[in-house]
Amino acid sequence: MLLQQLINGVTLGAIYALIALGYTLVYGILRMINFAHSEVFMGGAFLGLATLGLVGRSWLPAGGQVAIMVVVAMLGCAFLGMALERIAYRPLRRAPRLTPLISAIGASLVLQNAIFLFVSDQSLTFRESLPVVHWRCGGAELNSLQLLILTLAVGCMVVLRQFILKTRLGQAMRATAQDSQTAQLMGVNINQIIALTFFLGGALGGAAGVLNGMYYGSIKYNMGFILGIKAFTAAVLGGIGNITGAMAGGFLLGILEALGAGFLPGGAEWKDVFAFVVLILVLLVKPSGLLGQHVPEKL
Amino acid sequence: MKQLVSLGALLLLAGMAGCGPREKVVKIALACPLTGDLGSLGQGLKRGVELALQEEGSYDAQLPWRIVLEAYDDRADPKEAVNVANRIVSDPAIVAVIGHFNSGCSIPAAQVYAQHGLLMMTPAASNPKLTLQQLEPSWPWVRNVFRVNTTDDIQGAVAAEFARQRLKTATTAILHDKTAYGQGIAEEFQKRFETLGGKTLSFDGITTGERDFKSLLTRIKATKPSVLYFGGMFTEGGLLVRQARELGLTAPFVFAEANFDPEFLRIAGESAEGAYLTFLGSPPELLPTAKRFVEVYNRRYPGKEIKAYDHYAYEVTGILLTALRQVGPDRAKLIATVRTMRYRGVLGETAFDAKGDTLNKAITLFQVKGGKFVPLPGAPLPPA
Repeated sequence: MLLQQLINGVTLGAIYALIALGYTLVYGILRMINFAHSEVFMGGAFLGLATLGLVGRSWLPAGGQVAIMVVVAMLGCAFLGMALERIAYRPLRRAPRLTPLISAIGASLVLQNAIFLFVSDQSLTFRESLPVVHWRCGGAELNSLQLLILTLAVGCMVVLRQFILKTRLGQAMRATAQDSQTAQLMGVNINQIIALTFFLGGALGGAAGVLNGMYYGSIKYNMGFILGIKAFTAAVLGGIGNITGAMAGGFLLGILEALGAGFLPGGAEWKDVFAFVVLILVLLVKPSGLLGQHVPEKL
Repeated sequence: MKQLVSLGALLLLAGMAGCGPREKVVKIALACPLTGDLGSLGQGLKRGVELALQEEGSYDAQLPWRIVLEAYDDRADPKEAVNVANRIVSDPAIVAVIGHFNSGCSIPAAQVYAQHGLLMMTPAASNPKLTLQQLEPSWPWVRNVFRVNTTDDIQGAVAAEFARQRLKTATTAILHDKTAYGQGIAEEFQKRFETLGGKTLSFDGITTGERDFKSLLTRIKATKPSVLYFGGMFTEGGLLVRQARELGLTAPFVFAEANFDPEFLRIAGESAEGAYLTFLGSPPELLPTAKRFVEVYNRRYPGKEIKAYDHYAYEVTGILLTALRQVGPDRAKLIATVRTMRYRGVLGETAFDAKGDTLNKAITLFQVKGGKFVPLPGAPLPPA
């Protein structure tokens, strides 16, 4: 049973981690919490479903259809993220810190209600796009979908990490995160870098949205709200602004929730309390979060 | 804020244009969730009420006042419900309230209406406490609540009898959504299941809005229950049965009536197959008395599914309009009239006991077969 709970927790954690990266990337560069990110995630799920509807009847094999769906959702959400930055945040870049926060909440409401009004106010079935294979090992059930979620999530994270640590653009992002004014003096185009950050965060959010839809089999306009809060918690737990921290925080939160609900008596009712108590304890001991200070370049 | 003068009332007005000016306005309030997760059910109730107003409109053309429907959104939130109730009682033109939808909203809101002697008729709230609280010595006000649907003590008991005697199951794992409705009915199920010699292995609450219940279901699977029961709404219900089946938890799953919604089937997909549901009273398709209602509804709202409680909303509006015709727009007289009324409508004959609950206590059982809710023959009668 422990093994099964770990599988449950890690799958949940992978999705948390993907979304948490979006929060942490933006925070690292702009010191701002992008509350509309949870709606970018939701948009990814809807975009994925729409794409699947278009390519679903084509001659493509199921694997190809899913690949197209993931790519379209990631690209679409990447541009959605950039558009949000351009419309809702850039005009407020020199405003007091609270102003873009309010703008973010507004953007989130607009996106959620747009889907509610113009797409659907009910749950939509995310039809099975891949045949799901089940395995049993040691009394635990594992399916191909969970494996796909893990592989894709970890893959995205590795690529993102390499991008930030190894490329010139990544270097420019790190420089902007450390000190945007100095970076600008060194010839870094700040606007471009900030747009790139939203592009990357949006793409990861879009991927998470599609994976979430495939995993739970249905999507709804308000699906981003609770997941967004959890992912934000994961980002803070890992040390907001730190990429490795967001991944660690996501997995940790997923596993903690699974173990809390799975092993404590009456744990399901208290699983959020359990997760937040751990968050508070971590912040008491280490206010910057788990990995908040270990890495010199804050991102 | 979200106070909308309904389209139906406007249409009604348009139809009366030829009747000369009638200055006095009588308002009926509808209070239920109109947005959010349960918004689609609330919109269904609103259609039911508007349909009844339109149907009755022809009679009411002779009356010296005109009826206006005002819809209030309580967002399925008990705190918001009390706010809404306070706004409603402060409008002297409102003579009665139809609502609320959720038990958790209805119970506190009923107290506000009672303090102001306002008639409240619910088409859906099923927690027994809603009417029982009026019998407590601490209730100094008039007994103002009436409901046309059966209550959860009966629904939970029927489900338990079905699980114990028809499915012959001995152990159960019970889940609920921590609301007055979900937890209330889950407790009724547990009580009856244990009285009949069954054993409860676990009793767990989940959080509404949450989407992942796998860790809890994994723990439940390890206790090997022979039947599962869920008291709560369709979103969580659909996700629960889907995830239970994915984890290889194959025990029969019994659901309370709030899962009787096409959305439950959409969320659960093939996993819903074989699930059992209890339903308060009967859905309109099974009621011979509701044939006309179904026809008129489909004509007036083409393409809209009839939601599970729409015919109840239609029925309470019919009862209210009948009382209004008899005694006029007087809050106290309306309550007294409804109390003694025998009304023949889409539900058959409705009359109320001393608490304000309907004497018609039917429960129907359904099973999901081929992606549809199929009524089970020989449904058990309500316990005496």
